[in-house]
Amino acid sequence: MQAAKRSRISRMGIYTYAIIDSNSKISSSINGLGGAVVYNIPYRNIGIVVSESEHVQDIAQEHILKHEEIVEKLMEDFTVLPMRFHTLFNQEKDALLMMKEYCGDFRENLDRLRNKKEFGVRVIWPGDIKRNRIIDAYKKSNAGADMPDSSSVKSFVKEKFEEYKIDKEFEEEADKYIALIDNFFSRWACEKKIEKLKSENLLLNAFYLVEKEKEEDFKEAFERARDICICGDLKYLFSGPWPPYNFISLTKKTLHQRLSEADMFGRISPEQNLLNKGML
Amino acid sequence: MTIKRLIRTDSPEAFIEEIEKIQGALPKRIDANPKNVEKGLAKLVLTLIELIRKLLEKQAMRRIDAGSLTEEEIERIGETLMKLENKMQELKGVFGLKDEELNINLGPLGDLM
Repeated sequence: MQAAKRSRISRMGIYTYAIIDSNSKISSSINGLGGAVVYNIPYRNIGIVVSESEHVQDIAQEHILKHEEIVEKLMEDFTVLPMRFHTLFNQEKDALLMMKEYCGDFRENLDRLRNKKEFGVRVIWPGDIKRNRIIDAYKKSNAGADMPDSSSVKSFVKEKFEEYKIDKEFEEEADKYIALIDNFFSRWACEKKIEKLKSENLLLNAFYLVEKEKEEDFKEAFERARDICICGDLKYLFSGPWPPYNFISLTKKTLHQRLSEADMFGRISPEQNLLNKGML
Repeated sequence: MTIKRLIRTDSPEAFIEEIEKIQGALPKRIDANPKNVEKGLAKLVLTLIELIRKLLEKQAMRRIDAGSLTEEEIERIGETLMKLENKMQELKGVFGLKDEELNINLGPLGDLM
């Protein structure tokens, strides 16, 4: 019985949801994965939100949705840095160690992302049709340029050069559309991330970071975009607000690395002093 | 207070199809296990060679486009690129790899190629 209990405890871990800009208790009662109570472990003026959890062996969609649900609940009251799904520590002290090491990074991100939310814009265009049009136009303009007696090397270079020119024109065409759409949405955003042509037809996958006070304007822009970005046969997918998944930028520098950088002028910072005294 | 999320699209099926296409195109990890470690490693090495080959090819085409190469230089570069492409086809055949398998997902940075 005792052995069975020990074995169960040894499989328990600390499941993490997000880092938040508060070291206070979470006022609302939230149940996490497996129904465990979600709580905040404070570290200085921030905190890491966790629940006790068994290591999940078979990850199901419901686990992922639950994780997302909790991050979103936290987002209602705090600025959040969402943790990757299924990030576990063995014990609380391991989570605190990570907080201590990267506290500076976390605080910088929390400050930058305060009162901001992420929105997504995806656009599909008929890439295959566009490419075929470019190929046809290229063939017409180069008709009669074939050299039947050319060597295999010359044919190879000619073929590669054609591909290069077609790709170039295709990308230039895509850039024109993207500029039009992006200029429209950028007016309300303070930061953005743009992914171009993730596939032939997925023209744009963009993420915009929007200040809370401009959130409603951005939502309205969603509604108006179809009429304003008149680019013919485009299909849009708008979504948001989301936690700022795409705008967390970690230097991954530990406290020691940060302090040694601060020391380049030969000064000892108050943090370094505390570190020397073993107080950090 | 709850988050009022907005999700708007006029073509959900088209987006599902495109997103599945992107996600399904690549394995999440290099497949290296005792049974096919050779293939796993070959895939990794050939992916890197393919990346370099494509960069060389693109740079050569840019220079041809800019008119900065002589006929003789174009011939020489063309021959090198052609042999390199043929050799890559041969190696892909040896290890049973397809063109679309030669890629690596770099997480937040996206795909290598």
